[in-house]
Amino acid sequence: MDILIISKYILIIAVMIMMIAALRASAYKSTSMGLLGSSVVVVAFAMALLVCGEMYNLTFYRDISLALIFFGFVGTVAFAIVAGGDK
Amino acid sequence: MIVEYIQSALLLIAAFLVIVSAVGLLSLPKDMKNVVYGRIHIVGIFDIACIIAMIGLGQYLLAGIYFIIAPFTAHAIANAFYKSEDVENNAELNEVEEEVDDTNPFIVHKSKIQKLEDVESEKLKTDDRFTISTLDIVEEK
Repeated sequence: MDILIISKYILIIAVMIMMIAALRASAYKSTSMGLLGSSVVVVAFAMALLVCGEMYNLTFYRDISLALIFFGFVGTVAFAIVAGGDK
Repeated sequence: MIVEYIQSALLLIAAFLVIVSAVGLLSLPKDMKNVVYGRIHIVGIFDIACIIAMIGLGQYLLAGIYFIIAPFTAHAIANAFYKSEDVENNAELNEVEEEVDDTNPFIVHKSKIQKLEDVESEKLKTDDRFTISTLDIVEEK
């Protein structure tokens, strides 16, 4: 088996572990930790989509991951501004 | 051939960093001081790992975009936490706002009483402190 494919599989497993860890972290009591965890989950999912699209030659996966990263950022910043208050 | 080795090395480095950041995210103690900022810092390592993986996969534009976007996200979350929930560092969150109702004559704000009891405000002490209020009684015919 090619070493590149093996490293891609290892990266997917690592990203899955990170998603589970981020889900656990988002369950901590403060609102900001929920925001942080959801942001990490979105980026990790986009990363997994990117690797899968690279493995199976699915080019639209790249577009989906780009949209996830960009709109995840927009949502995180918007919610952070709302949570921060007016002061 | 050598490009594949470089790509796989980048992906393996990224996977290692991702696992390290996942373990670090969960293993920080809950009662540690400023633990949320520490977790945001750890997520920064995950962001850099993602950028390395994107470079390894050949998605340079995506890596550049995420390299610019990631610090903004971390700063926004830290800022929101500081302004709304950080009781340890933000002194404004410990202040309790008291509502002052000037229309009610029986409820006087503490600062006004302190001003009345001040040594320099003799005039206020004689005039405002001892007032006589009268009550009008109107008999119905």
